[in-house]
Amino acid sequence: MLELINLSKKFKQVHAVENLNMFIEKGEIIGLLGPNGAGKSTAITMLSSLVEPSSGDVKFNGKSILKNPAQLRNIVGMVPQDIALYSDLTAEENLQFFGRIYKIKGVELKRKIDEVLKLIGLTDRRKDVVKKYSGGMKRRLNIGVALLHEPEFLIMDEPTVGIDPQSRNYILETVKRLNREKQITILYTSHYMEEVEFLCDRIYIMDQGNLIASGTKDEIKSILSAEKVISIKADNMNDAFIGSLKENPLVNRMVVSEKEVTIMAGKEVNIFSPLIKMAEDSQLDLHSLDIKTPTLEDVFLHLTGRALRD
Amino acid sequence: MIGILLARIRLFIRKPLTFVIFTGMSIGFALVLGGSGGPATVQVPLYAEDQEVQNSFIGNALVENETYSFDWTSKAELEEIITNGKAEAGAILTNDGYQLIVGVDSPNAALIENTLSDLYRKQHLEEEIMTSSGLENQADQEELLNELRLSQESPVFSISNSHFRGTNTWMYDSTFQTLFGFTLFFVIYTIAYNVLPILIEKKDGIWDRIILSPVKKWEMYTANLLYTFFEGYLQVVIIFLIFRYWVGVDFNGRFIEALLFVIPYVFAIVAMSIFLTALVKTTQQFNAVIPILAISMAMIGGAYWPIEIVESEFLLALSKINPLTYGMEILNGIAVYGFQVEELLFPISILVIMGVVMMGLGIHLMEKRHV
Repeated sequence: MLELINLSKKFKQVHAVENLNMFIEKGEIIGLLGPNGAGKSTAITMLSSLVEPSSGDVKFNGKSILKNPAQLRNIVGMVPQDIALYSDLTAEENLQFFGRIYKIKGVELKRKIDEVLKLIGLTDRRKDVVKKYSGGMKRRLNIGVALLHEPEFLIMDEPTVGIDPQSRNYILETVKRLNREKQITILYTSHYMEEVEFLCDRIYIMDQGNLIASGTKDEIKSILSAEKVISIKADNMNDAFIGSLKENPLVNRMVVSEKEVTIMAGKEVNIFSPLIKMAEDSQLDLHSLDIKTPTLEDVFLHLTGRALRD
Repeated sequence: MIGILLARIRLFIRKPLTFVIFTGMSIGFALVLGGSGGPATVQVPLYAEDQEVQNSFIGNALVENETYSFDWTSKAELEEIITNGKAEAGAILTNDGYQLIVGVDSPNAALIENTLSDLYRKQHLEEEIMTSSGLENQADQEELLNELRLSQESPVFSISNSHFRGTNTWMYDSTFQTLFGFTLFFVIYTIAYNVLPILIEKKDGIWDRIILSPVKKWEMYTANLLYTFFEGYLQVVIIFLIFRYWVGVDFNGRFIEALLFVIPYVFAIVAMSIFLTALVKTTQQFNAVIPILAISMAMIGGAYWPIEIVESEFLLALSKINPLTYGMEILNGIAVYGFQVEELLFPISILVIMGVVMMGLGIHLMEKRHV
């Protein structure tokens, strides 16, 4: 359906995206995962024809959209990262405005507005001005506006940033339903690996403008088949222990947080005895020592040496 | 395009405060500073050294004068008013003449002197005629005077003056100066703050959403700029209507022309705002630049004071690239100087050219820098 071929974008001396290759099939939910500044938003603005790439091509059904973006624009719905709504208009008035610019009028517009409001759970608040909405409600309406013209392909740029867990779950469930019930193809960008794991059939992981991994969840996690992920928790995590971990040749990679250190080590290596000894030497009150099932976060750590949200 | 226009109108109805404030400020400043707020215009204190002057033909004519508000006062008070700058000029009257006391050397001082000398000349003429007539009966004298005044009101010849505009001659009308000056000044804010949403919508992603829709880009710009023009022009129309029909300013009998020929100015300011929007990167920058630019334009464009009193060659050169200069030139040309359309073509053309150039550059830069 959609192909990105060696897509690059350079802003002055900065390569925002470099030689990105992706494909999206009809009916899929594709995840584009990466930390802030990885180039996800630049990539989707290029594939949605809003920004011209420095090089490369975007093909929709085999035809380049760079010269004729209308064919893609007719079927695409865009959920931008920012709340792209008129905050002084009501939800209904916003939907009327965006409906009208898609040439939807009269009874049909009213029907679609009712349908969208029901889907995003804002029917009761349709007459309220947007600036009075909570962050979650604004996000839901932000999605609703993109659905009004019944797009076949929905691009969602971090649609859950800065909202409460309940609204987040509502949005994730809505995205699943849209794909399942209306067969909408979805490209979902996020830096929350749980969301991408929950929603997506296939995943592309980006970092610093480059694609560093792609495939199904299992395929990506299999990158870690030669390593195990160990979580070490302690109440008094200290520099001496972290220092000795860094110096230990058995530890391939590590991420440190306040009371937890996640390390990666070879699958065949017995690391537990050295770990316990290092903890004793550093007078660490070990709370737990677990072998974790690898997550996408761990894959990212493995590939870049950094945590996804660094 | 209609959808965008409807949304802008709906937003205006929901938040009309900015428009109301700037319109109100234009009217308020023009009324207060222009002296059009009430029956009194420019205050002129008078002191009669000979008491009979107050009840004479001159005294009555001065009190009935509609241009200036002549008020009788004591000599000490007159001096105090002039010293404190509460009046530009005052006069001490005697039966045979007057003494003009000028506090501020303004165009009004000369006009007050004209008014006084005219009246004394008339009185002197009447006295001469009375003496020559040889009439001794008071009733006959009064009849003759009435006939004389009646004949003066319906002269045998009507004389009209016209002159070429010289660089050193200019006319000042405080009502028109403040009305036009503050109208053209405050409309800059109204227009600029209506172009600003383009920048905000681009930043927020609303613009992207519209680009992805079937709406063409030219329609997006046209709808936004058309609406901005409409709101700016509406402000000018409302202010002019209030002054024409409520305050009673007659625009030299050319009210419709004033309304029509201000259109190029509004267009140029819309264009200037889009150009400015393209140059700045953030709304904060825009909000910082607009007051500086608007006030500078007003200062060197003749909105606060007549451009004719500016002497700096540098400032005068700058005023030539200032749309407000030409806006004032058009309106003063119509209402103060009574210029014909041909004489207004030059400032109109300059404003149209400025508008086209800045609009073109602004949209081009905006497209290049943003989407």
